[in-house]
Amino acid sequence: MLDDRFDDQLRDAARDYNAPPETPRDEIWDRIVAARTDRADESEKAVRSVRYFRPLALAAGIAALLGLGVELGRLTVHTPQPVAVAPSAVMTPKVSAAAYQLATTEHLGQAEIFLTLFRASVRQDGGGNERLASATARELLASNRLLLDSPAAKDARTRALLQDLELVLAEIAQLSPQPRSRDLELIKEGLDQGGVISRLRIAVPAGGSTTQGAL
Amino acid sequence: MEYVRDAVRIHDLTLRRRVDDKELIARVLEGDPSAERRLYDAHVDRVFRLVYRMAGDLDRAKDYTQETFIRAFSRLADFRGEAALSTWLGSIAISVALNGLRKVRRMRDREVALDEAPQMGRLSVEAEPDLKTRLAQAIDGLPDGYRAVFVMHDVEGYTHEEIASSLGVHPGTSKAQLFRARARLREALADFAKD
Repeated sequence: MLDDRFDDQLRDAARDYNAPPETPRDEIWDRIVAARTDRADESEKAVRSVRYFRPLALAAGIAALLGLGVELGRLTVHTPQPVAVAPSAVMTPKVSAAAYQLATTEHLGQAEIFLTLFRASVRQDGGGNERLASATARELLASNRLLLDSPAAKDARTRALLQDLELVLAEIAQLSPQPRSRDLELIKEGLDQGGVISRLRIAVPAGGSTTQGAL
Repeated sequence: MEYVRDAVRIHDLTLRRRVDDKELIARVLEGDPSAERRLYDAHVDRVFRLVYRMAGDLDRAKDYTQETFIRAFSRLADFRGEAALSTWLGSIAISVALNGLRKVRRMRDREVALDEAPQMGRLSVEAEPDLKTRLAQAIDGLPDGYRAVFVMHDVEGYTHEEIASSLGVHPGTSKAQLFRARARLREALADFAKD
């Protein structure tokens, strides 16, 4: 009985929990329209970047096939009884894994360079060209989301890194053209505390990114 | 008698709304932008209220509402009409809000761990707040699943069937979670219960 009365009191008091203001309908609608236009552009860019990666993936595939061929040759020499192997069934996952590995390394390399430059610009002059930084972050965010949904994210460490990277990129992508210095400072702190840049450096092997050493 | 008439009226309204939703969805899928806006207008308040209750922050509530409708429009062709559109939107909204809040918490934990750890203990020695403030703190402290069910049922008035459909659980699970959520709140506010 006492419980019932208290439950009623609870329900009454709970109605004020995070009481919402009036819905800013038009503002949210405008944002939806703008975001959908942005995302349509992003997916177009992502398709273009997939097209860009396709020759690299093909090259990686050929390299992996050659490597696998050599390995199979070695196995045949050492094994007295030749074993029948269905080449396509064995090779496809390896080829695909190599292609995703290459795309991931390239992406992480680009993200590392971008974040290093971004952090340096915040340190030196409290930021500069936020519009450009935001646009670059959006492009990287699109590739990042593609990779998160791909087999490249099966590896737990890579997945965690891509997820943390997504958070940082999303924050930079949402920067207004004239951000408050506190916003920039928070992003920089996030970068420093999460160790995203150092984890990117560890994940990208020396020479892994085509632009490595530019800094 | 009046009660029965109200129930019939609500039932009629619900049916009419379902028919309206069906027509609107068909028009949205045909590419009619004005139908998108009408569909948005018909459901935005309920979505916004829910995500605001969960987030407690205007900017985040706007973000989550925006994301809910973007996802809904992009997946509208997959909506099979088994549940009401409002329930389907609620399921997207609650998932967007819970995921968003998890990310916020992860970032906040990192900041708190490094910057504010020594100050945390001070909160508990502040002046005793009133029931509503204490309740808000206790609700904030509930695990995500309990909080979602409590907010949807006791605060926003969703039925257990709607909650179950939105959260992808059995209605019995929703009832059990509500029971446990209330028990936790009673426990957290035990001193008020005695008064």
